[in-house]
Amino acid sequence: MISLLAVSAINFWLVEMLPGDAAERILGRNATPEGLALLREQMHLHLSAPERYWLWLSSLMKGDLGTSLVADRPVFGYIASRVANTALLSGFALLLYIPISISLGVITAIHRGRMADHVISGMVLVFMCLPEFVIGLLLISVFAIKLSWLPPLALIGQAKSFGELLQLIALPTITLVAAMSAYAVRMMRESLIEVLDSSYVLMARLKGMPTWRVLLFHALPNALGPAINITALNVAWMIGGVVVVEAVFEFPGIGRLMVDSIGHKDIPVILAISMIMTGAYIATNLVADLLIILFNPKLR
Amino acid sequence: MAALAAAPLSAVIPVPKAWAQTKTLRIAAGEADNATGTLDPAKSTNDPDAARTSLVFERLVVLDDTFAAVPQLAKSWESNATGDEWTFKLQEGVKFHDGEPLTAKHVIYTFKRLLDPKTASPGASSMATIDPAAITALDDLTVRFKLKKPTVEFPELIANRFTYILREGQPESELRTAAIGTGPFKVQRFVPGDDVSTFVKNENYWRPGLPKVDVVELRSIPEESARIAAIESGQIDLVWDLGRAGVAGLQQNPDVKVVRTRAPFVLTLSAWADTPPFDDVRVRQAMKYVVDREQMLQLVLRGYGNIGDDNPVAPWVKYALEAKTRERDVEKAKALLAEAGHPDGIDIELFTSETVPGFIEMATLYQAMASEAGIRVKINKAPANDYWSAVWLKQPFICSSWSGRGADDALAAPYLSTSEWNETHWKRPEFDAFIEKARATTDVAERTKLYQQAQQLLRDDGGAIISMFPDALAATRANVSGWKPHPQQSTKDFSQVEIG
Repeated sequence: MISLLAVSAINFWLVEMLPGDAAERILGRNATPEGLALLREQMHLHLSAPERYWLWLSSLMKGDLGTSLVADRPVFGYIASRVANTALLSGFALLLYIPISISLGVITAIHRGRMADHVISGMVLVFMCLPEFVIGLLLISVFAIKLSWLPPLALIGQAKSFGELLQLIALPTITLVAAMSAYAVRMMRESLIEVLDSSYVLMARLKGMPTWRVLLFHALPNALGPAINITALNVAWMIGGVVVVEAVFEFPGIGRLMVDSIGHKDIPVILAISMIMTGAYIATNLVADLLIILFNPKLR
Repeated sequence: MAALAAAPLSAVIPVPKAWAQTKTLRIAAGEADNATGTLDPAKSTNDPDAARTSLVFERLVVLDDTFAAVPQLAKSWESNATGDEWTFKLQEGVKFHDGEPLTAKHVIYTFKRLLDPKTASPGASSMATIDPAAITALDDLTVRFKLKKPTVEFPELIANRFTYILREGQPESELRTAAIGTGPFKVQRFVPGDDVSTFVKNENYWRPGLPKVDVVELRSIPEESARIAAIESGQIDLVWDLGRAGVAGLQQNPDVKVVRTRAPFVLTLSAWADTPPFDDVRVRQAMKYVVDREQMLQLVLRGYGNIGDDNPVAPWVKYALEAKTRERDVEKAKALLAEAGHPDGIDIELFTSETVPGFIEMATLYQAMASEAGIRVKINKAPANDYWSAVWLKQPFICSSWSGRGADDALAAPYLSTSEWNETHWKRPEFDAFIEKARATTDVAERTKLYQQAQQLLRDDGGAIISMFPDALAATRANVSGWKPHPQQSTKDFSQVEIG
């Protein structure tokens, strides 16, 4: 709670420091002094900054997120569909990310030093170095423009069936997965190698236990800890990284809304979104800590 | 969260079968369409707003591509001998989307509301010549405007983005998102800040056979590379606001048609004529003589445009001055600078930004050209999102642009002494007098002469370096016909567009 409050205060203050105000941004080049004054009055912008923050905070206490200055409609309804869209995209990405990073990590660790390891590790390194918008643009130019397999932009309003929706969000999902998996695969590989080299794994093998059993019941649970930590970091990254991916693919999500709202100095919307992002960040860290305790008997 | 995640799925639940046969035109604007969006013509500011209003509403008069007035909701018009009283006859049989017939009262309501200070429309000041109390209905289909000053170009003056005719009595709160007009399409869904607005065919549209598509989906795709990918892959049928580089790539693609219109869109470098060193006309002239206009056209616009001559009225527009283009003359520029007391040249700062395509290139190229004459330009690149509120009208030497306008508007809006948008601080009573007199002169030859005298004065003495007019560039899928961009940027007519 306290961190949420702190985030809202800091964000409010930061946005206040930006030059101009929402009225100027709306009227733009056609602004007249009378028009500006009228609009400022409507938006309560004639009040001082602390007064406005207090207004926002007190209505939040009553469960009201306020009204968007620019869209002139309640913030809740305004951001709800965007939050849902972003949750959908990140959900798909996480769903793919977990099995992909674990299996690639296992493959590289078992085949360490051999062809499969070199190829996968090489690709992972490439994805680690490329910023996500470059990955996104590469995917667009190959899969959408050259091969025309998939639509280039995630204009999800165009989808008329679930299958079409999947096609539309395929490229942004792959981009997110590629950027996130890179770190996780490396981390998985390192920790698994360490575990595989340990004496209790050697012991298990000497007992004649099949490799899959060794891996699944002895090595993996011990190697997962660092991978979960990385996943938590990745989710935190995704909350920010999704902004870039949404911009590249024109995806109508929370990240693009945040960028637009900052451009317009639409403070109620900015604060609501930052609250959600902070909440999501705190929640993932909590879940990750719990999972690590679950997998590591020493911490129980 | 689980309940929220299901929301987008509801949007993709199978739609009625009839949908599959409907012809949907998917269009994408370049300027961002976000929560500021509106359907209220009086508040219309950005490009998606212009597209929306022209789908739903119509005006009395529109401009053709040479900026001459042609009828739309007005069938004909005439003025008295002095040009301060204008009578418009309305089309018969025009109906609003709710069935209400178009009559004079709707026209009167529209203009009174537009000019009311409470509406705070950015368009009101340019039409201040209309006396809102003296707009009268002679009968159901005849409207008379009495003007405060004679205005010979009155039909052209009201052919702008703000004057779409509203339905009298529609509540203000509905106007923004659910407006009723007489136009070819009706609003189906428009929520400011959501990514798509949808419009459906007006079955009772008064012009027979139009419109030719059933549904129009409007969205904005601000990233140009994304917009190009969308038209190339067929996700979008029609885009505009394309850059020169993007168009060059599209020309190779057989599935896409590039459409271009020569437009009097002004790209200018504007200096304050009352601030040193620009307050000396010889310095201003030197700054104009250093420009190689052909090179500007080729390097900044890749040849997609026309050369300018420091005159905002493009040579093909009505009343344009026929002048020889100013040739580059570095020696003359140096001599002028020396004469003005700057034998070692001058140091100036030029503000530019990415807000308009071409600004950065124009500034960089100007810096290189000017340096040869001892004009040392320091380029200051300002953020794009608040360029018009933080830099424009606030800094003495900037990159600026003006959308395509007719001669009177192109001269008056930025250069009249009294204009709020006088971006060059250039104030000449003679210039104001030429414009004033031209507006009251009914004889065409005489009026042309006055407008040309004003242009000559501005060209020789003013603070604007106008070296080029970029074309309006757009693209459609190959199966789309009946559309090209209009040189008046805010006019977007999709009524004739056909698919397949």
